[in-house]
Amino acid sequence: MRTGEFRTTYAADMAIFETPLARWSLGVFLVLLFLLPLMATNYWMDVVNRICIAVIGAVGLNILTGFTGQVSMGNAAFLAVGAYSTSLMANRWDLPWMVTVPIAGLVTALVGMVFGTPSLRLKGLYLAMATLAAHFIVEFTVVHWESVTGGVNGTSVPAARIFAFALDSDTRLFYLIASIAVALVFFAKNLFRTKVGKAFIAIRDQDISAEVMGVNVYKHKLLSFGVSSFYVGVAGSLLAYQARIISPENFPLSVAIDYLGMIIIGGLGSILGSILGAIFITLLPELLRLLTGALSGALPGLVQLFASLRIGVFGLAIVLFLIFEPDGLAARWHTIKNYWKLYPFSY
Amino acid sequence: MESLQSRRNTIRGAVVIGLLFSLEAFAQGEIKVGGLFDLTGITSDVGKPYAQGVRDGVQWVNENGGINGKRIRLVDVDYGYKIPEAVAAYKRMTGDEKVIMINGWGTGDTEALKEFVNKDKIPYVSASFSGHLTDPAKTPYNFFVAPSYSDELRAWLSWVKSDWKDKSRAPKVAFFYGDNAYGKAPIEAGRRFCKENGIDLVDEEIVPGAFQDATSQLLNMKKREADYAYINVTTTGVSIILKDAKKLGLSTKFGSNPYGFSEALPGVAKDAAEGVTGVMPHVPFGEKVPGMKRLTDFHLKNHPNDTHDALYVRGWSYVLVWSEALKRADKDKALNGEGVKKALEGLHNFDLGGLTSNVTYTPTDHRPSTKTPIYMIQSGKLVKVAEYDMPRKPEWLGL
Repeated sequence: MRTGEFRTTYAADMAIFETPLARWSLGVFLVLLFLLPLMATNYWMDVVNRICIAVIGAVGLNILTGFTGQVSMGNAAFLAVGAYSTSLMANRWDLPWMVTVPIAGLVTALVGMVFGTPSLRLKGLYLAMATLAAHFIVEFTVVHWESVTGGVNGTSVPAARIFAFALDSDTRLFYLIASIAVALVFFAKNLFRTKVGKAFIAIRDQDISAEVMGVNVYKHKLLSFGVSSFYVGVAGSLLAYQARIISPENFPLSVAIDYLGMIIIGGLGSILGSILGAIFITLLPELLRLLTGALSGALPGLVQLFASLRIGVFGLAIVLFLIFEPDGLAARWHTIKNYWKLYPFSY
Repeated sequence: MESLQSRRNTIRGAVVIGLLFSLEAFAQGEIKVGGLFDLTGITSDVGKPYAQGVRDGVQWVNENGGINGKRIRLVDVDYGYKIPEAVAAYKRMTGDEKVIMINGWGTGDTEALKEFVNKDKIPYVSASFSGHLTDPAKTPYNFFVAPSYSDELRAWLSWVKSDWKDKSRAPKVAFFYGDNAYGKAPIEAGRRFCKENGIDLVDEEIVPGAFQDATSQLLNMKKREADYAYINVTTTGVSIILKDAKKLGLSTKFGSNPYGFSEALPGVAKDAAEGVTGVMPHVPFGEKVPGMKRLTDFHLKNHPNDTHDALYVRGWSYVLVWSEALKRADKDKALNGEGVKKALEGLHNFDLGGLTSNVTYTPTDHRPSTKTPIYMIQSGKLVKVAEYDMPRKPEWLGL
């Protein structure tokens, strides 16, 4: 809190925007975001769409891991559930996205709650292993339930459409994905101003104290699994509409690890952190690709190293963040913001 | 009314000028062709020499007149044998780079992209010979330059029949294949061919995409007493299976698909590769055929110390086929997706100087050829032992 800033009501203390300037700058950001398709090429719209999808998934995972303290390795699996249920609904019953996206979210929420049941007894590393089982069970199902999933060959998903208007390019799809992402981010931001959200945080900080205070720990853990998986399911559903072809290769375990990387690098227990982390992890391979492409004239061997380079830089980034900025990009952002707020008289 | 007329005229004039400018730019410019390669994924063992073949082929075409004077620019991407990466690369190539056609790679990604290329009218010449890509009624924009995987397996099974001397019982055959679209592509065709031709298919063993050990699958196969086994994975996988089989002392005669069989196999599997047969739709590098001279000349001029194999020849023959189609499309003033497709479908008995069988596509049949040579490894060398020509049965189209 800045010097000279007094809060006299609880409402002021709970406000999302501390100053009118914050509100306005967010407004300007959103306007610019929605003007993006006018400037960006198809390739960058593809990247931006993947970032928006990653934001939804990362916010979802952060609700569970960052805010409720339940580690999950099942994120790739939950994405797959969302994507394949969308493909099933869109292909078999020709349902529009307005139906498939929320239902995919609900189906995934249900699946997430089922795999969340061990959280009654398990914590930390043990829960991580239990959710890892979810990954392998879902992966096995996807590969072998060929009539629904198309097996290893994958399955194609028809383009989302608004009436007769097909959202068959990344530019068109952007408005749908970005709107849903913005709405879900606002929902998550508000969630932690409610009783349920506070209960999640209480469970993360000390589950025994939370129980003593009257929080139904198990109910809220399951609820957190449900909400989180809903987010991831929606992300999976949008992923299906964006990629248009989904196969088990879209959902390897490394995706679950990428998502954990997003919230670690972005900041555990921070909505802003989820967004920054999602942007960072999604952009990382693209920037590396551009870099290796640009350098391929001078160093022809570099392109072949690209895949290992990506993994190496990803690992290095996580280690460096854990050492130098354990609270992630979000904390760094606050430091920078506070510095400029009092510039040139920072203390 | 008058002003509307004049505005129309202005628009027309603008369109004509715009067209002229774009034609001008086109005439001087280059032709962009997408190249989707696997340099780092599970098939990179064969993906790298193939990619080099395509790149060198493009360079050779450019140095020898190009496409009626225009240069080809290969927009290439390493997609690591990952379908999502291939889809992203496809979007980049068609959306930003506006490539006219694509030289693709794997079966999984090619089959996944088939609806995209059909909608976007992008001729897609894949290194996958999956039989599913041969029926233009279903996949009008998919092409490849070899007999289909299915026809190759049928040819190898025909060789098994001729090699089998014991008339008291039918030969017992096993299939080894990878748990992916490439591995599974010809299996159904093989099953049916066995049934129709009195071959006893006793076992099917599935191996993971990348694996280090095949002992358990080989022991399973041993229990079923297979006399012959067809391996449908790439060279690294084939050599692992062959070495494990030698360790276990199996007497089964192994055969391999075209991506597991080249000069590289005896190099990797050493004496375990002795007596192994394989289908070879493209000749080994340096084979005495008329079409080989430009490859060896190019090789001596640019990288005389490199070693090359049949995969490299395969890359070249792809470029030779689609660059011919580009030339014809350009002559017809139809240098676009539909024009190139039409030009490819106009290739009739197109002669590649023996690098591979002559290529014919028609609007109703995209099987480029049906002739499959079978080679055997004899004291470390590839020796041609047979060649089978499969009939163009209508019921085999797309299988």
